[in-house]
Amino acid sequence: MKRIAHAAAAVAMLCQPPAVASGQVPVGYQPVDSDERGLWMVMAEEERRVRDSNFVIQDPALNAYVRQVLCRTVGPRCAEVRIYLMRTPYFNASMAPNGMMQVWSGLFLRTRNEAQLAAVLAHEYTHYEEQHSLRIFRDVRDKSTVLSFLSLPLSILGGMAATTAAQFVTLATIFGFSRENERAADRGSVTLLTRAGYDPAAAAAIWEGIEAEREAAAAARGRSVRPEIALFGTHPTSRARMEELRAQAAAAPAGARESGEGPYQAALAGSWAMLVDDQIKLNDYGATELLLTRLAADGWTGSLIYARAELMRARGTADDLRHAEAWYQAAIVRPDAPAEARRGLGLTLLRRGEVAAGRAAIASYLEHRPNASDGAMLRAMTGA
Amino acid sequence: MMWRWVLIAVAAVGPSGCAVFGYTLVRPGAAVDVAGSGLIVSPDRAWNRAGSINGPGKDAERWTLDGPALNELTLYAGIRDGRPLFREEDRRDRPLPRFSATMLPVDVAALFEASYRVASGTSLFTIDAIAPDSLAGRPGFRFDYSYVLPGEEVRRKGAATGAIVGGKLYLISFEAPAIHYFDRDVGAYRAIVAAARLKDDARDVGDIPGPLT
Repeated sequence: MKRIAHAAAAVAMLCQPPAVASGQVPVGYQPVDSDERGLWMVMAEEERRVRDSNFVIQDPALNAYVRQVLCRTVGPRCAEVRIYLMRTPYFNASMAPNGMMQVWSGLFLRTRNEAQLAAVLAHEYTHYEEQHSLRIFRDVRDKSTVLSFLSLPLSILGGMAATTAAQFVTLATIFGFSRENERAADRGSVTLLTRAGYDPAAAAAIWEGIEAEREAAAAARGRSVRPEIALFGTHPTSRARMEELRAQAAAAPAGARESGEGPYQAALAGSWAMLVDDQIKLNDYGATELLLTRLAADGWTGSLIYARAELMRARGTADDLRHAEAWYQAAIVRPDAPAEARRGLGLTLLRRGEVAAGRAAIASYLEHRPNASDGAMLRAMTGA
Repeated sequence: MMWRWVLIAVAAVGPSGCAVFGYTLVRPGAAVDVAGSGLIVSPDRAWNRAGSINGPGKDAERWTLDGPALNELTLYAGIRDGRPLFREEDRRDRPLPRFSATMLPVDVAALFEASYRVASGTSLFTIDAIAPDSLAGRPGFRFDYSYVLPGEEVRRKGAATGAIVGGKLYLISFEAPAIHYFDRDVGAYRAIVAAARLKDDARDVGDIPGPLT
């Protein structure tokens, strides 16, 4: 039980930021008491690990763009935040109390414009500014002492630690405290978005997308959507957040309502292939199909047609292969499709037993990519 | 609670418990029937064979020389159509991709890559090269790969050799840190691949009438 509490504390520190009772930290803030100095020291060590990680996306242009969006959204205090873009294909961002922000690459496939990216950055920044991590750290520390005390007699009775009602309630209040901080960060993000001239509805739109993705993933696997558990979740449920964010956006003062779709698309243009490839390889057909369809809202580009065919070929049922062939055929006539579409077409045809056509498509691919890393295998397969 | 289950489990398996929970020594030259599949391998040096609890699944075995973090050999022996390569940790939310008997060599490499990505959460995994080869005398393929696991940051290299025989996948992979260990130990893997055979082949040989005594 103690381990759960400590794990919760660790998660809380990572997923959120710190706090003093008065609210916001002043400009150029430095930790003042031993709790907070300790937290900053731990996070400084963690930051050294993150900074040197193989997973950090170094792309200077993308890093500069995300920083520029943060600065537009939160103002000059963005200088206190270090942003690390992490190559991890899931939707997440986190903020540490010392100003270290991590943004996972999977987020870029799920935010569809600059305002939505700004909403996430503003949410994380609000955790920092309101020192949520420190508050959570103190809360968990105090309550985990209670938890240790409650589990002690049971440990003596043979280690059959059962969760007592008191432990249950204590744990639930830790998570409840965390959820309250999430709501505060959501409110902060709507305020910051509005002030920066972004569409405040962007924040709710992200959660609409996440809900739709959960449903699509479950549907493709023939399962029902697993309900989110509010009692022991560190975050409010997506639906609850969506509704609260919608209400806050509706109440926001009138002003500019920029979504920044163009600049967002332009900034991510060089990264789409990598982001989509990472997503396709997650073996999550439903969610990936939804994300690709969303990216194709303004029309299916050659790259997106190719990506959808790759998704179908990866799952590889007889129907998938039949559809994949049609999508690859549509891709290869497009100048904006990668040469790899010919490879995919050839492999699909071979698996469908159309050997001559398959070999021809692969030969065509090898003409475009004579030094392909799988060239030796493909040449052997096609007898070339 | 945990200890009670351990005791029950140990009582259930009796003296062979170490074969389930720990590692057993595979001596050089021993002929090992991998996971009872009929894939027979004979190492040229001593390996440690993980018990089934530490293993990758019932159709595979995991061996190591110095510990799985330093060098790890995985022998996939007869993965059937519709099965994942190894044991699924979260079948509901992060199911592994499935092997299909109709897969081409490049599809098997892609299956291998996706399985690692899903199971470990890494995006840093690449198939660096793939070429024709053979396993147990059957036409097959070999591929090289490299990857980094989240939270660990060690750059690893891997090599795998496989073949699809009778609709089932046989694949032997070896991986180790790119610094020092991969190059030091890859020879032990190559020796195992070179000597691998299928039991059916042995039976064929046995069926040839020998001199009567």
